[in-house]
Amino acid sequence: MKFKFNPQDLLKLRNVRRVAQVFFFSLFLFFVFVTDLRYLKGYPVSLFLELDPLVSFATAITTHTVYMGLMWSLLLILPTLLFGRIFCNWICPYGILHHFTGWLLGKRRANERERIESNRYKKLYSLKYIILIAMIAAAVGGTLQIGWLDPICLFHRSMSTVILPALNLFFPSSIYVRQYFHVGAWIIGFLLLFLVGMNVLIPRFFCRVLCPLGAFLGTLSSVTLWRIDRDPTKCVDCDLCLKNCEGASDPQTQLRKSECFVCFNCIEDCPEDALSFKFMPPLKREVTAPVVPGRRAFLGTLIGLGFYAFGRASGASDRNYDKKVIRPPGSVEEKDFLDRCIKCDQCIRTCPTNVLQPAWMESGIEGIWTPILDMKIGSCDVNCVLCGQVCPTGAIQRISIEEKTGTGPFVKEGPIKLGTAFFDRGRCLPWAMETPCVVCEEVCPVSPKAIFSREVTIIKRDGNPITLRQPYMDPALCIGCGICEHECPVTDEAAIRVTAVGETRSRERRLLMDGGVTGAVMDLEKRQR
Amino acid sequence: MANEKKPAAGNRREFVRTHVPLAERVASAIIVVLLAAIGLAIAIKGKHFNPDIFAVRTDSLKSTTAAVVGKGGTAASMPETKTENPVAAEAPKPAAEEGSGEGGAEGSAAAPKPAEKGQPLEIALAGIKPMSDTEFYNSDNLFEKIDGRAPAYQGFNVQALRCRSFNVLAAAGSFVDVYEYRFDSPVDAFGMFALERDPKGQPLDFAPDGYSGEMGYFYRQGAVYVQIIASDVKPETLALTKAIALNRAKELPVDDHGLAGRRKLPAAGMLADSVSFVLENAQGQSDFKDVFQAKYNFDGAVLPYFIMVTQPDDAAKAWKSFQDFCARFGKAEVLPDVNGGKIFSAQVFGKWKVVYQREGELGGVFDATDAGKAQAFIEKYLRGEIK
Amino acid sequence: MSATNPNEQSVNRREFLVRLGITGALIAGTGLVARKLWQPNHFVPGFEKEKGMQLRSYASEISKVLPSLAIAHGTEHEKTIRAAMTALGGMNRFIQHGDVVMIKPNVAFDRPPALAATTHPDALRAVAKLCFEAGASKVIVADNPINSPTGCFFKSGLTAVAAEMNLDLMYPETNSFAPLSLTGEILKEWTFFNTPFKKATKVIGLAPCKDHNLCHASMTTKNWYGLLGGRRNQFHQHIHSIVSDFALMMKPTLVILDGMNVLMSNGPTGGRLSDVKPMNTIVAGTDMIAVDAYGYSHLLERDIAELTYLHKAQDRGLGNIDWKNTLYKEVQA
Repeated sequence: MKFKFNPQDLLKLRNVRRVAQVFFFSLFLFFVFVTDLRYLKGYPVSLFLELDPLVSFATAITTHTVYMGLMWSLLLILPTLLFGRIFCNWICPYGILHHFTGWLLGKRRANERERIESNRYKKLYSLKYIILIAMIAAAVGGTLQIGWLDPICLFHRSMSTVILPALNLFFPSSIYVRQYFHVGAWIIGFLLLFLVGMNVLIPRFFCRVLCPLGAFLGTLSSVTLWRIDRDPTKCVDCDLCLKNCEGASDPQTQLRKSECFVCFNCIEDCPEDALSFKFMPPLKREVTAPVVPGRRAFLGTLIGLGFYAFGRASGASDRNYDKKVIRPPGSVEEKDFLDRCIKCDQCIRTCPTNVLQPAWMESGIEGIWTPILDMKIGSCDVNCVLCGQVCPTGAIQRISIEEKTGTGPFVKEGPIKLGTAFFDRGRCLPWAMETPCVVCEEVCPVSPKAIFSREVTIIKRDGNPITLRQPYMDPALCIGCGICEHECPVTDEAAIRVTAVGETRSRERRLLMDGGVTGAVMDLEKRQR
Repeated sequence: MANEKKPAAGNRREFVRTHVPLAERVASAIIVVLLAAIGLAIAIKGKHFNPDIFAVRTDSLKSTTAAVVGKGGTAASMPETKTENPVAAEAPKPAAEEGSGEGGAEGSAAAPKPAEKGQPLEIALAGIKPMSDTEFYNSDNLFEKIDGRAPAYQGFNVQALRCRSFNVLAAAGSFVDVYEYRFDSPVDAFGMFALERDPKGQPLDFAPDGYSGEMGYFYRQGAVYVQIIASDVKPETLALTKAIALNRAKELPVDDHGLAGRRKLPAAGMLADSVSFVLENAQGQSDFKDVFQAKYNFDGAVLPYFIMVTQPDDAAKAWKSFQDFCARFGKAEVLPDVNGGKIFSAQVFGKWKVVYQREGELGGVFDATDAGKAQAFIEKYLRGEIK
Repeated sequence: MSATNPNEQSVNRREFLVRLGITGALIAGTGLVARKLWQPNHFVPGFEKEKGMQLRSYASEISKVLPSLAIAHGTEHEKTIRAAMTALGGMNRFIQHGDVVMIKPNVAFDRPPALAATTHPDALRAVAKLCFEAGASKVIVADNPINSPTGCFFKSGLTAVAAEMNLDLMYPETNSFAPLSLTGEILKEWTFFNTPFKKATKVIGLAPCKDHNLCHASMTTKNWYGLLGGRRNQFHQHIHSIVSDFALMMKPTLVILDGMNVLMSNGPTGGRLSDVKPMNTIVAGTDMIAVDAYGYSHLLERDIAELTYLHKAQDRGLGNIDWKNTLYKEVQA
């Protein structure tokens, strides 16, 4: 490529697009980096997720609401309805990543003919619409699964769980104060590598073949009023427009509006100046709607509905709930959670203790990569509500510290409980091993403490007496924060472990009878009866 | 339409579009401006945030002012579950704090009880700052602080030591050590003080039983033996050392209970640094207790003198038994009474004693080489000519 | 851009307007729908104030002449029940022509009738018969058992009675529940077996007389436990308060205590015939506390002082233990 600087060049849309790509990709990286207690301040770090129209559309289906900041997606839907899939090449950080990787690894130096052929439309590219249909069907059924392949969710998740920790391994303390770990991160990492690596075979592989957001925007693009138009009187059928076509939208014949990324490469490449971005060019020179084979669409619907039905019927979100599914504070009830969580793992990114982990099968197939607490790795800081602040869909509601701790105006309701801790006396030092401890009581953050101890004198094995304190749990006070489990010296499997029962977000999983009204203080009043 | 054939292979020359329509340029400009605006907006948004997300509002803690009924505290906060020394669990007494600067207990009839143990040594003076926490010792562990001197202190029934060091703000690196040894009685405090008395010390005007040395002040106040010691001889340090000494003399209550005998020691001719106190078995006599001794200049000689104040009957008995004792080991002779006081003089092992007894007072000169002077001294004293 | 062929380059007026309209409509529509669905405020999950329903009272007017409690002794279910109802003034006193009657039996466990752990089919048959005789248009039978619903109704013999008498047997289905609001001591908001009550105009509680390991006895007051859903097992932490709350929750038309065979020990499940004692008594009345008071002292033959929930209910003004000093009648069938 020749870099001859011409002032005229600056104001070409193609070049402005490149500026926009740098801008938005940098912005994305900035947001990802700054999602940390130290730097967060007021930055809208979930902005890309809130702009993502598929997120707001799908959650509107599952929850019948548009949660708080998701209204921002209107800002993207409106231009899409007018101009087409500008998002895919101008704004989407994942698309920019694939664009860049394709340029870096793709048929750059290969001959022109190969490049042109690689950008022709293939029938395979209708797969993303099937995927979208399956996901929408699942949403209609009642489970939100767009997070698997939505590009923003995927990219955020990859950054949070695997890329940043990997960076931190190579450059210690550059991202985290102490190294963060995420269970099963390797799967997410290799998936990312695979998708990015596929750009070697097919340029913009993910964007053209798999991206459900692209499919959604492509569907919306059917009604655009502007599009790339080829003037057949000027065109000489040289196919040069395909050389750098990102969307594989066939600009050399009838433009496929649903595939065009509005990257403006074709306009720059046409030697006859036959391509332009026109307002309402004739319909017969375009393929207006996405081409989706009907039978495959039907299959997609079945798969989506099946995902919901088979997933739910497996019971993991109902009576057979796993005791390890401890959700972040402010989470909605499990079935609603699976309606809202887009598996973006923003909460996992911002959590200051590394306690949040992407689940695998604990909450069934629907809950893969949704956040759960693993007290072996961290614990929930009592006065922290960061996860709710960054959750774009309200799977974790944007609660305040007072609502979480049950203080101030919320003293009657009492604190949010994540679960309840239970002693495993066979592993506990003072209970089973004649050794004083009660670290759990020490670190219990509530007042009065949920862990209390009683002094006892026992005769040790060597015949000498020892007076030590043995700990007990008070379930009325335990908020399930897990710091006891985390600090327990029996680190492989703690002698006190938190499980999900008693969590306040679910009426069915309450441990103690409290008349349906939670309140440690009120419960104490009643227990005195 | 020209139908240029596509070349069979090979790359064509790169094409660069030169004609950019105005509409496109305007749109491009608008977009660039838009991007800048977005960046700016995000930067501004980043600065505006609700601090309540990151930290607890102190207001919200108002709901925690009331304790929860029915649930106890930790073992450390619940006295009935403690097995340790109950002293730490006692609520701090609102008794007059020694260091608070609020009016010393001057003139109070009873000295404050030693329960003040535990109160930090606070001195309200400008120019000093505590260097460390107050240290507390009792009789058993006093040796940890003063090592080999401890047995002597224990001999005088020391109860506690409270000490603290203070930085001198005006002199970097300088500090003043303050030691307050509390004894069980002013008499014992005096005894220890007298035992360690430096003969070269200068008398103090604010403490009758006290002296100042090159780098410190030492005195007895009440049942407390106070030592204020400077780390160096810088003028600022010495000035503050004196100020602290004055402060403690003001704060510590005056109590001379049991020092009656001490009072009785006549001042005339007394060698100031010679006052000492013998708790018991003075002169080898088992009934000689709380005896004060001093040396006097009299008529060109130095006469050691002792005095004891007790009940008249006991005094008479002790006088008689001392006389018998002296007769056994030497020669004793009863002298005529002077002014209500019975006197005997004795020579034991080459030294003269002249001992008198008047009511509850029992005293005398001992270890004198000149019998005549000893006798004259006693008679003069009894006549009230030596005060 | 040269325009050599106008027809090929631009779009005609009609198409222009249509396309503009469609896009415009879509834009407007999206905006409007989003605005309508917008949830600008968060909530705290698990602490939402639920708007529960409240049950209306099904009680009849208090009569100054007719007794409020009737005790009948006999050897056959139907005869004895009839005798008790007659003593009260006949079923017509309570059931009128056209009434939809909801009979709440106790079928908590899948026990055969002989073990006296569930409502006896003969009792249900008799009461249903009386209701139809009094002119009831429909009789509903419903309960939310602890064991499986289909199993409990079947093994206790009530499914057969329902089929025989053409009763409307309602199982507790997923959508049969709704939140209930109550100003109880413990019961404030809870999920409630709502469907049977949607059409009911009269409610009759038909309970066996049983020993209970936790709250001493399960009779007509505890019978209403079976209308609650959710995780009821938490109630055992405050069992007497909950049971007294039932007297607040439900104001039935009539309660009948089946004391023909009484489960004297190892309740509430029982399991041996040796636990069952024939007491040959039916108690019917408008006050469940009074009926239970009689049942505990005379049928289970225990000291009424230990039945805490009775006293709680009386203290709250929800019933009268002292049935002896009310209008009552004791008859022989």
